[in-house]
Amino acid sequence: MSKLHIVATQVDSARRLRLGYGLNAAASLLLLGTIAAQYLPLGLTNWRPTLYAYVLWAIALCASQVIVRGEQGKRVLFVLPAALFVASLALFPLVFGLTIAFSDWNLANPDGRQFNGLANIKQMFGDTYFWRSMGNMGWYVLAILAEYIVAFGLALMLNAEIRGRKFFRVAFLLPLMLSPVAVSWMIGKSMLENRFGPVARLLRSLGVDNPTFFGDPAIAKLTIMLMDAWTYIPFMMIMLLAGLQAIPKDLNEAADVDGARGVRRFFEITFPIMARVSITAILIRVIFKLKLADIIITVTGGGPGGATDSVTSFIYREYRDRSNVGYGTMLAMFYLVVIVIGMTGLIKFTNRWKGADA
Amino acid sequence: MKTDIYKAMTSGRMSRRTMLRGAAATGALAAMPKFALAQAGSVREQILQIPGVGNGAPTEADWRKVGALCLGQTKANVAPGEFAGVELTFMGTNNQNLHNVLFRAFLSSWEEYTGAKINWIDLAQGDYNARLQQSIATGTVDFDLLEMGAPFEGDTAGRGLLDEMPEWVKDAIDMDDLVDYLKAPVGTWDGKTYRVTVDGDCHTFSYRTDYYDNADFAQAWAKEGDGSDWSVPKTWEQVNAYSKFLAGKDDPLTGLPAHGFLDPMKSWGGFSFYFLEDRATAYAKHPDDPAWLFDPETMKPRVNNPAFVQAIQDVLDLIATPGAYPADQINADPGTTAFQQFLAGTGSMLTWWGDVGSSARTSDSSVVGDVVGFDILPGANRVYNSKTQEWEERYNESPNMAYLGWGIYVTSRVSGDELKRKAAWSAAAHLGGKDISLWTSAYPSGYQPYRKSHFNYDEWEIAGYDRAFVEDFLGSNLDSYNHPNAAVEPRIPGIFQYYSAAEDELAKGFAGQYESAQAIGDAIAEAWEKITDQIGRDSQIALYRASLGL
Amino acid sequence: MSVQIFHDHPADRIPVKRRFGRLALYAALGLWAFVCLMPIFWTLTTAFKTAPDVMKGHILPWIDFKPNWLGWRSLGLSPDTIAEPSSVRGEFLKRFSNSAVIAVTASLLAVGLGGTAAYGLSRFDYKFGFMKNDDISFFFLSQLILPPVVLALPFLVLYKSMALLDTRFGLILLYTLSVLPIVVWIMKDQFAAIPSELEEAALVDGLSIWGAFLTIILPLSLPGMVSAFIISLVLTWNEYFFAALLTSTHANTLPVMVASQTGSQGISWWSMAALSFAAILPLLLVGILLERFIIKGMAAGAVK
Repeated sequence: MSKLHIVATQVDSARRLRLGYGLNAAASLLLLGTIAAQYLPLGLTNWRPTLYAYVLWAIALCASQVIVRGEQGKRVLFVLPAALFVASLALFPLVFGLTIAFSDWNLANPDGRQFNGLANIKQMFGDTYFWRSMGNMGWYVLAILAEYIVAFGLALMLNAEIRGRKFFRVAFLLPLMLSPVAVSWMIGKSMLENRFGPVARLLRSLGVDNPTFFGDPAIAKLTIMLMDAWTYIPFMMIMLLAGLQAIPKDLNEAADVDGARGVRRFFEITFPIMARVSITAILIRVIFKLKLADIIITVTGGGPGGATDSVTSFIYREYRDRSNVGYGTMLAMFYLVVIVIGMTGLIKFTNRWKGADA
Repeated sequence: MKTDIYKAMTSGRMSRRTMLRGAAATGALAAMPKFALAQAGSVREQILQIPGVGNGAPTEADWRKVGALCLGQTKANVAPGEFAGVELTFMGTNNQNLHNVLFRAFLSSWEEYTGAKINWIDLAQGDYNARLQQSIATGTVDFDLLEMGAPFEGDTAGRGLLDEMPEWVKDAIDMDDLVDYLKAPVGTWDGKTYRVTVDGDCHTFSYRTDYYDNADFAQAWAKEGDGSDWSVPKTWEQVNAYSKFLAGKDDPLTGLPAHGFLDPMKSWGGFSFYFLEDRATAYAKHPDDPAWLFDPETMKPRVNNPAFVQAIQDVLDLIATPGAYPADQINADPGTTAFQQFLAGTGSMLTWWGDVGSSARTSDSSVVGDVVGFDILPGANRVYNSKTQEWEERYNESPNMAYLGWGIYVTSRVSGDELKRKAAWSAAAHLGGKDISLWTSAYPSGYQPYRKSHFNYDEWEIAGYDRAFVEDFLGSNLDSYNHPNAAVEPRIPGIFQYYSAAEDELAKGFAGQYESAQAIGDAIAEAWEKITDQIGRDSQIALYRASLGL
Repeated sequence: MSVQIFHDHPADRIPVKRRFGRLALYAALGLWAFVCLMPIFWTLTTAFKTAPDVMKGHILPWIDFKPNWLGWRSLGLSPDTIAEPSSVRGEFLKRFSNSAVIAVTASLLAVGLGGTAAYGLSRFDYKFGFMKNDDISFFFLSQLILPPVVLALPFLVLYKSMALLDTRFGLILLYTLSVLPIVVWIMKDQFAAIPSELEEAALVDGLSIWGAFLTIILPLSLPGMVSAFIISLVLTWNEYFFAALLTSTHANTLPVMVASQTGSQGISWWSMAALSFAAILPLLLVGILLERFIIKGMAAGAVK
């Protein structure tokens, strides 16, 4: 049932219907005609004309919706442009990607692409380094819990009665604004440089001999987690802070009357209220985390020995350094399937949980 | 002989002038013929003094001046404004704001004179192979001029993507002046010439002279060492022995921990594999056999034969020695190893391209300019014979001609348009000109000497170099180029895929993910076999044999 | 708006009573502010260092080391080179304007398309074939999940055939696609927080549904739009992967330039830092000036 109830006056005139369908048909014909023309020897060097014809077709489709379906069409008009846009830009690459995924395509092969059935899948199941990168992803995603705790703490602090709140809010937000490429260089390679970098010097003055950040697999993974956390903690923080600021003040007053204090009040009142926004923040964060790659590619290149590889950075190297496009695309498709299933499950689960909670 | 001069130089008692006198007195150094010494006031002399050694790294204004001074050859072949309205696209690397940025400045006066305009595609070196392969495979070659290494000639010229060099360009750039190993077949394919060489490549051995002049080290070595002299290592066995010995000692220059040989271990778009090759060629390149990476009959990889496994084992031995490498060496970018470590005083031995030599004296980041020495790659006391499958106990050395230098190529996009074609070749000829190249080899440019005329030491003195330093630095290059047992890399399609696969497995191996050096070698061999099958074994065998001259 | 988002009156605050507690609070705030700002400070100061300063790990300008224009000179942006011709500066300015045009246009497009879609999804029940509202929402969201590498080669081929390679327009389309999901997500919560009685009243007054949306809902959801816009801006301004793949000479952006600074010669930290700082500066300013909109925009969605 729509949330907005409108008594729509539907005008079903035959003329409108004809106009709408006619427009649609004309635009479709134009589109098909243009596509056909591309194959004729008219000197068309690229598919731009088809692009323009498609845009016209999309506009005609939107217009005909309004013409034919009236009020209902106007509602559709809210979603249709975005849906058409996404579908047209994502569908072709996806379908084409699927055909690549089932082929043996090394860019250096003069014969080009060759269908090879399930060979890529078979290779994938035997590829221990791919599975290691999947395992690494598990650790990286788990790190979100720690990020969440820190972000919550920061949000609570910013929500407390403090001086210079504006300054702290801006300062805490800034890491989010920085480019991962620049962060990788200036933090990952400059500040964490183990001889002259300020962090190494600080650690040395604290008595750590020869601090290294990327030599040992566990430490390297941790360093990557920290750098990524540094960038994205502000994102969760602002969502949580927004949630905290939206808590009605009478709730706190009621709690004061009840005499609930400190830790108990946090767990009994604040935290349950924050559950929804927390889930949203964590979900978005998981999605961003699943794409983690820039930092790893620049700073460690997946090393030492694949210990820091994320799935995306692994595929990236297979793809860019080895030009092994077929296999790389298969890995990416597999990853896509895994996360679509995972995310759907997670969203459904949290929706139910949110529903039960409400 | 040279070390005496260095000893005096490093102790700081000698001025440059007295040192030169010392150099002259040794006599042997003055034996080089002084042919074709730059005329006073000539273009060559003028550009060599821009900005002059010791005056900091050259700036863009300097580059533009050099480019303008070297226009003579262009003016001889092209009328002013002849290319008005022509637009060319140039794809190359942006190495440290050199290569493409340098070319822009060199070509600015050329653009002004000819009226052509050049658009630029700048790539990070690690992205280079990927971008090139992508353009080729998807038919998106969107550049007219291309800065490329000879190893990629199989990928490009082999597919008809390049434009053949016109005769007038051959004369304009004086191709006969190239050092011999860069002459055909390098730069050609099926007998046609495609390349304007702008760089010569080989790896040489750089070391810190103050380590080997150091009495404390010599004394300690006498006590802890194997009884040999404390001197510049001649074999990889020695390199490893010294590196183990140096672990835990202090650097005489910086006072920080001393280290021996610096192995770059991190992946670098394929380029890292050259450093393992450096260690392996002496073991693997048998003087009677031109092949050393693959078996020329079957393309069966040799990377897991005892020679390569020994080289891998040498690295593993040093990894297992605490303090042999600087901390975190496994994650140091190769460029870092040469320019942030060696030139900054960390580590005492390195194999690298020749640009580390000119940078040692002229770069802003170098602190080792006065204490650095050069030689060809170390040899080994035994060499593996792939035919008999046995080690032969004898001294062997084999300089690694890694990458064969950058060149400028013109793509077949311009072949149909004579004016555009001439413009493209004129630009390439300007960059590969005889005079301009003298400057690029003398100053930080990312390029090495590659012409016979670059080894005229008197000219280098005009730039302000010490004679002894130049002879040492250039001599190591010249000796490598002319070495009878040089390891020349195969120009076969996909060569960087092989390298990239190899460096990935090596990185895993150095991180301790394989049980032994043999296992690492086997993993690389397996990956290589797969690549060969993917690209097509028969055609690879044919091209490999052709590139070896078989 | 029925919900008060900002509690600016001191009486609204939970008083932190114990003195020790306050001290610890400020210590924690200070520490985290340091963690956040130090790298930015480091980038800025490194841009004024020379090689020995970098090697010795100097930190404080004027005290530890003497600031030098070396890094900015290599970009042609130091006082002594600003008047001279510099190809690097030309390149930098070109890329800067490319980045600006592409990021702003793509973000505006995404907010426009995504905003209306989110409104529709929050108000009406749709049925496109088998897809209902939840499925449509997930359809949008799924674009966010898509790892960019999946699309790399197909996009290269598609763009080549459409002559969109190395054009701003091509990148704008792609970036719009990539940030659309996050816009839809943020805006859906926004609209859901606005009671639908408002439009119902307007419709009764004779406004059309689009009229009601444009005149009543849009102004109310402005903070959310601004925050969605800023987040889109951050993501598009900093995008590297596709920019490197799909552009070559005319449409390339700043992150590609930052990344291409490396090579066989190691890194000139001073110029890398100068370039990095110049690349992050615009967004730093956006963050400083528009920070309150971001949190305000998020807040409306959070109360639901």
